[in-house]
Amino acid sequence: MKNLVASTRIFLSSAWLSYVALLYWTQPITYLASHVAAPFTYILFFSYLGISATGSDTAKFYLIGNALHLCSLNGIYGVTMAIGNERDAGTLVYLVASPSNRLIVFLGRTFFNIIDGVITVSLGLAWSMFLGLDLTGANWSGIFLTILITTISTCGLGLLLGSVSFLSLNVLFVNNTVFFLLLLFSGANLPADSMPTWMQAVGSLLPLTRGIKATRLLADGAQINEVLPLLFGEMAVGAIYGIAGYAVIHSLENIARKRGSLDAY
Amino acid sequence: MIKANLRVIYIAMIFHLKQIAVDSFVIFTVIVQPLLVATLAIYMLRRNTDFEAIYVIIGSALTGLWSGTLFFSSSNINFERRAGTLELIVASPTHLAMVVLGKTLANTGMSLGSILISYPMAALLFGFHLKIVNPVLFFISTLFAILSFISLSLLVSSFMSVSLGARVWENALEFPMYILSGFMFPITLLPIWVTPLSYVLAPFWVARVLHMTAVHNTISQLEVVRIWGYIFVLALIYCFISAWLFKVLLKKARAESTLGYQ
Repeated sequence: MKNLVASTRIFLSSAWLSYVALLYWTQPITYLASHVAAPFTYILFFSYLGISATGSDTAKFYLIGNALHLCSLNGIYGVTMAIGNERDAGTLVYLVASPSNRLIVFLGRTFFNIIDGVITVSLGLAWSMFLGLDLTGANWSGIFLTILITTISTCGLGLLLGSVSFLSLNVLFVNNTVFFLLLLFSGANLPADSMPTWMQAVGSLLPLTRGIKATRLLADGAQINEVLPLLFGEMAVGAIYGIAGYAVIHSLENIARKRGSLDAY
Repeated sequence: MIKANLRVIYIAMIFHLKQIAVDSFVIFTVIVQPLLVATLAIYMLRRNTDFEAIYVIIGSALTGLWSGTLFFSSSNINFERRAGTLELIVASPTHLAMVVLGKTLANTGMSLGSILISYPMAALLFGFHLKIVNPVLFFISTLFAILSFISLSLLVSSFMSVSLGARVWENALEFPMYILSGFMFPITLLPIWVTPLSYVLAPFWVARVLHMTAVHNTISQLEVVRIWGYIFVLALIYCFISAWLFKVLLKKARAESTLGYQ
């Protein structure tokens, strides 16, 4: 019981402190620029690109795909920042030296990113509706559940990418590349039949792919049981990345201790 | 005087080039991002009957050029501000604009890498035979493109330095230029009321003339020259505005003592 209370305290304080101290976008103007205006322009660009490829009848496909892809802003950048910015702040060494359970600490770091990610995708869908996305007859509760699961699974990938912070300062390069690779492979902008088999195979190993597919079905009115296999798949992929992320963080922490590179610049 | 200024521009360019050439963010912006955008666009558009690979490659290279201009230029002065060296540069007898121009040349040179790399990479990855229909006109148009992006870079640099709060909008400014300039798709897809916005953007005319000279067999040379004229005039306007902004920056900084990092 005592352990549970301590773990809960560490989880909550880790979640709150990482959000207020390590994320750059918590100020209203920064939030507006990075989570409202910029995502709107991403959706606009890729949707128009898609419309120029396959006509305005297919706008729904691109609007939903790109709105869902926004959860990677939190999943990838947010979670990675919550770990990597410790290094910038010079506090990574203290974190490593603390006796706290590492798993609880890092799970805490994803908590507010999940909430924020769900809000960002919801705003993306609202923008998309403003641009003409028709969600009449959509299964809204199913869509909300899918957004939540997809954001969690993307945070799993973020945890893995965040582990790079233990060894390198070039985390942003990795994040940016993965952000665009997800656009390419997740099916946000490419229907499965227009992708070569190898790209579909890569996409199936990534978070987002099944979430986007499920959201498209739910937007057309599908019932939750029809998309359950996709949602379980999405959860499984996210869990694998999350576990891998934790394992890699653990081993990289040891390497960084030996190399003395925790606060190296 | 001119020789001394040229020397400062050259030194600032070389020094800045050495700094950014190994920056992973620069490498991403100039090489990786345009390549990924090009790959995505090729897969999206290749089933179209009027698909032209060269159109996509030029468009994606221009996205790299603009992203580079936006992100690298906005940090031109702010980098010195963070490093605590802006006061020293401003206090030196050389005008700040000369140092920024040198950095701008380095940034534009680096960003041009997106054009140089996009072509062979796309040809290698997708096996496209990339042919530029009017090579001479295309080459001259590229020179006008460089001129326009240098002037735009000066404008971004001075604007972001005068208005420090504007930096948070950097990411939100990246894709609107892709859209309004028609880098990857024609602006005719957009609502008609945005067309005037495109017309005051030099990159719109750059994209138009590069696409035109690379793809179209029959083009009006008069039309090409007219677009060069538009680019030149817009570049001049951008330079005048940035010169004014530099004056405002220095006056404001001296009056309010705001040269240091805020």
